[in-house]
Amino acid sequence: MALVEIRNLSKQFSKGDEVIRPLREVDLDIHEGDFVSLMGPSGTGKSTLLNLISGIDKPDQGTVTVDDVEVTSLSRSQLADWRAANLGYIFQTHNLIPVLTTYENVELPILLLPLAKRERQQRVELVLEAVGLSDRADHYPRQLSGGQEQRVGIARAIVAHPKVVVADEPTGSLDNKTSEQVQVLLQRLNQELNITMIMVTHDSEAAQIATRQLQLDEGKIRELSSDERATAQQVST
Amino acid sequence: MFRFAPYVFKGLWRHRARTMLTVSGAAVAIFVFCFVVSIQEGLDRLTSNEDAQRTLIVFQENRFCPTSSRLPEDYARQIEDIPGVKDVMPVQVWTNNCRASLDIIVFNGSPPEKLRNARDLTLVSGDWGEFESQRDSAIVGRKVAARRGISQGESFSIGDITVQVAGVFSSPIPSEENLIHTNLEFLQYRRGADAAGVVTQHEVHLTADADPDVVATAIDEKLKSGPVATTTRRKGAFQASTLSDLLDLIEFAHWLGYACVGLVLSLVATTTLMSVQDRIKEHAVLQTLGVRPARIFRLVIAESGLLCLFGGLMGTSLALAILGWGSLAVGAEGVTIAFRPSLQLALMGTIVSASVGLLAGLVPATQAARTQIVNALSQP
Repeated sequence: MALVEIRNLSKQFSKGDEVIRPLREVDLDIHEGDFVSLMGPSGTGKSTLLNLISGIDKPDQGTVTVDDVEVTSLSRSQLADWRAANLGYIFQTHNLIPVLTTYENVELPILLLPLAKRERQQRVELVLEAVGLSDRADHYPRQLSGGQEQRVGIARAIVAHPKVVVADEPTGSLDNKTSEQVQVLLQRLNQELNITMIMVTHDSEAAQIATRQLQLDEGKIRELSSDERATAQQVST
Repeated sequence: MFRFAPYVFKGLWRHRARTMLTVSGAAVAIFVFCFVVSIQEGLDRLTSNEDAQRTLIVFQENRFCPTSSRLPEDYARQIEDIPGVKDVMPVQVWTNNCRASLDIIVFNGSPPEKLRNARDLTLVSGDWGEFESQRDSAIVGRKVAARRGISQGESFSIGDITVQVAGVFSSPIPSEENLIHTNLEFLQYRRGADAAGVVTQHEVHLTADADPDVVATAIDEKLKSGPVATTTRRKGAFQASTLSDLLDLIEFAHWLGYACVGLVLSLVATTTLMSVQDRIKEHAVLQTLGVRPARIFRLVIAESGLLCLFGGLMGTSLALAILGWGSLAVGAEGVTIAFRPSLQLALMGTIVSASVGLLAGLVPATQAARTQIVNALSQP
């Protein structure tokens, strides 16, 4: 049974007189432990799909079910509670809270969970160590580099032990070297901690680290075959 | 909610200048509000306390200023015969300013032996014996002593009156501490030989079971046939009538107090709204991480509440300090209203500040809670 089940999912937007349909009756299964990359031309609805899976947007049609919870039927407050306990979100532009330290930013999601202070502290210290930022715990975002900020974002996304982590262009604002570091980190988290990841990216190199590569085009999803992945890898190198 | 306290406090500290300006603005407005409330409290004390209700003032009919009321001193003997009257104290009143003033000096001349029984005065320095034995001596209220720098053993002069200060007194009735008590004869003879046997008013103390209004009517009825007709009223009503011009101003000052509260509301609401609009994306991020809209609402309310509470506490504390140390009073026609700090004032200042803070945050908090996540996240 799939961890994430998407059935008949559709979404459309109005832009003046024009109606845009980035998603048309999309069906998709994602299993526990999968690392899924989602690519496609700009404006094809990749981020829209991610927003629907995370529950920060509502579809016009269809359902999204995560671990037997039909996300699309939850109320706004229920969705917030569900995200706090089950979902980690990695933003392209980090979106750290500027007035909070690294430690406090990472701790933010688990403040919403019924955890004792000691357990919260242990979790935060563990994930900071996992992303290699234990010595930056007292730093503010303005004192971190772009790569470090993104690693804090990753730590924040996994601290609550979510079932699914979604990443919207996690390397989009980083240079090549830092992008590579972040990609390695994400891959390691997936392999070592078996975290299910759904990553939107336009970077074909970043897409390679995923165990499954999907292409979104004209509202439909298609999974790349092994040959297509191999060809794409050769092209990118 | 307390888990998010660092976020709230750091959020306020993020824009220090804006926070400080808002807090100081709220402090000033609440300071003024407290002063207005203290005036009303002083007036209520003056007109409603037990002394004001159980003591009668006999004054010349159709006279208002102390200098214009001239009653025979021996009216006291006639008044004493009326049922319900326990004691009568003739009082000569002299004031340096019949109009409203913040620096009014009021002398009350009365027989020293009657004064000690009639008024609840405690000497904090000096000696009753010296006051009773020396004709030009005076005992000075604590607040007027502080305001004018008068100490026991000194002489004090104002106008053509010079007294030897035999002591400084305190009283549980704040307005009493703005008076200077002297010997009745001394004050009478300062006005000239024709003032002998004449007083400004008679202060009538009643027995426990006496009806003040019945006794007042009886006094006026009895004295109607005398050389000078009288108007007798409860002390509170007499003082309220004497201060009628000031009462209109005090009533107007109420609106000033409300305006101050409105100003704080507007100021804090504006600051909070600006803060929310600066952080639309941040609130969307918080919601994405799992913070409920209701919690976002409470976080914003907490910010506005804290801004207002800090400012309100500062303003209230400053008002209480100045009221306590400032020895302030306003008076007219020989009657004074004392401004004093009180627990009631402290509570009112705090509660009003907190309430206004919560109210001011309602609109910004609602806006923050209704943030559309996707649109807000797409902002730069």
